[in-house]
Order: sequence, then structure tokens, then C-alpha cells
Amino acid sequence: MAASLGRLLHSSGNLLRNGARLKCQPLHTAARALCSNTSGGLTTIRPKDEVMKNQLTVFGEYVAECLPKYVQTVQVTAQNELEVLIAPEGVVPVLSFLKDHHNAQFGSLADIACVDIPTKPYRFELVYILMSLTYNSRIRVRTYTDEITPVESCYSVFKAADWYEREAWDMYGVYFSNHPDLRRILTDYGFEGHPFRKDFPLSGYVEIRYDNELKRIVQEPVELAQEFRKFDISSTWETFPAHRQGSKPLMDTQGRGHEAPPEETPAEEKK
Amino acid sequence: MAGLVRTVGRRFFSAKATTGLTGMAVAKDPHLALRVLYTKTLAALEKLPKDAAYRQHTEGIINDRFDLVKTVPNVAELEQKINCGQIEQVIIQAEAELSLARKMADWKAWEPLVSEAPEGQWKWP
Repeated sequence: MAASLGRLLHSSGNLLRNGARLKCQPLHTAARALCSNTSGGLTTIRPKDEVMKNQLTVFGEYVAECLPKYVQTVQVTAQNELEVLIAPEGVVPVLSFLKDHHNAQFGSLADIACVDIPTKPYRFELVYILMSLTYNSRIRVRTYTDEITPVESCYSVFKAADWYEREAWDMYGVYFSNHPDLRRILTDYGFEGHPFRKDFPLSGYVEIRYDNELKRIVQEPVELAQEFRKFDISSTWETFPAHRQGSKPLMDTQGRGHEAPPEETPAEEKK
Repeated sequence: MAGLVRTVGRRFFSAKATTGLTGMAVAKDPHLALRVLYTKTLAALEKLPKDAAYRQHTEGIINDRFDLVKTVPNVAELEQKINCGQIEQVIIQAEAELSLARKMADWKAWEPLVSEAPEGQWKWP
């Protein structure tokens, strides 16, 4: 999956104003702990591609270097996916840069996804997934917002953003300023609420039925035959071994001790 | 009529028949188009501060391609040397870079970070 056309990257000595480089962070996942294909061991996990990872790291740092005003962090996941985390003011500049610049040429907007994490300060995380056909690569651009803060629409950059942003508005309530036509797209006419939010119940608030006297569909508050049961499922296995916090016994079921997961090198300069 | 080559002014009329891509017409004078676009882009980049990384990298790319355009008269060979698709695609890339360079001057993207993420915003899981 390596890019068929090499990017023209010119290295220059003077990078950021204060000389620091934004370091591209690797994200650890459980796959690294499990995958051990040293000598003929069968594994169905994709082998690590260091070359691809290095290319992505270099390009991620290049993007951070060209747009220091908006890029907060850059990271490469274990599956070799590049993510650029930006401030919400920089949606249009960063996306324009990735679309127009010679070394980027991400001309295709694949998706705009929204993630709702109510515990975070800005609960909604917007994810723009871009594809480059010239260089055969993908990139993710992530920002954040909450229920009342509008984000600049990227319709002027990618026309495909039209419906994606309508969906984000309809399902989550993320408002996009300067959008040509921001209205509901998936919910019913007159539907109230934003269904994909975590505080919106699974069953919804209203149910509809055909009323024979009124000869039309009526909306009534939902009545479930059985009360909603919430199961407090907690797995016996640790789900994120690479993200342990606090002191936990580092032993597997056979009673053997594990090494502690490798310490993440702290960012030199998180600009 | 095979092998007939006419000269129109300075140019040899041996353009390719089609780009093979829908909606992309064959460029009549790619060297002129690229010369104009690269000159305008370099002028737009002059407005950015000299130490801006974007300006330095982009000037490097544009100057490399500009030199190739100036030295290689044959279109097919130029496409090979630039190695970024057909010459019409190279023209589109140059137009995109020009519009980006102009917008970068407005955004001032070389300035330091405009706003930091609040604590815990990017923490995952």
C-alpha cells in the first residue's frame, strides 16, 4: 500500500519559529502486545509496516510544520492511519491545504463523522476523512465542538460536505456556519431531538401509530411493554492493556509477570 | 496523413489526441499555462514571511517544476520528468496551489497555535 508516487518533500533547516518540531506521536494499541511473529508463529494480525509508518510520520510532521496556527497534534495509529488534530478555527484552512497543496492532494472527502463523548469538555468530535488518489493514501482531520459552538462549513472546499454536514447537524446537533442548506436529512419531518447523542434513549421519545378515527398517523409518547434493562457488563479481561492508569498487577492468568508497557516518550513541544 | 507535422508559429502541432480522462481536455500550450501559473504562485508566495515553512517548501516544489518546464520542450518528456500524472493534471495542481497560496496570506497560517485543546479533550479511550 506504499504510495506509488513519492511526495516531493524538501527539508529545510528552520522549521517552527522557536526551532522546535511538532513530534508525531505513535498510538499504542493492544495489537502490539499480542503480535509476536518471530519464527513461523501463525498470526492473523497484519504485519507491521515500518516503511509506511515512517512515511506517514514524516508527512504528518510536514503538515504540522506548514500549519502551526491550527494543528495541535499529529499521530499515527498502529494500523498506519495518520490523524491530524486541529483547533476548530482551522477547519477550512487545513482542509484547503490538504486538498490544494502539491505534496498533499487529498482531493476526495470520504466522510465527515461525529463522535459524542459527553464527559469531554467539548463533547462532539468531528472527524474528516480525506483520500488522495495521486498518492494513494488517507488522512483523518479531527476537531471538537459542543452543542452551541458553530464550526465553519467546509462546503467551499469539498462539495461532498453538503450532506455529511447535514447529517452531523441532524444526528448530533453540530451547527455549521455558512452552510448553504443546513436542514434535517435522515430524521422524520417534525422529529425533535438529535438521535445519535448519548443522552438520547434507544427507544426514542415518541412512537407513531395509525389512528382510525382521525384517519392519519399520530405521535404519542413511547410505551414499552417491558421496562428497559441495563446490564452492567464488565469483562473479566482487561480491555486496553496499553492504556493502564494507576497501579495494577501486571500478571497474566498463568501467574507470570509481564513487562510494563513501554512508556510513551512525552512530546518535546506540544505546539 | 500519418507523420504530418505542421508548425504553427514556434510550436509543433503534435499534441496528443486525448488525455483519457473524462472532462479533461488536452491543453493547447501547457508550457505557457504552467509558466504563467508558476510565476503568479511565486508572486503570491512573496507575500508570506520568508521563514514560513509553507513558503519555503512550496517555493522549492514550484521552482523545481518551473525549471523543468523551462528546459524540457517536449510535452511527453516533461510529463515523465515531473512524474505526477499528465500535463493537464499538473496544470490543475498548479492552479490549486496558486489559490491556496493566496488564501494562506489571508489566514496567516504560520503564526503560533491559535487555541490549545482543553485538558483531556484528545485523551483516548
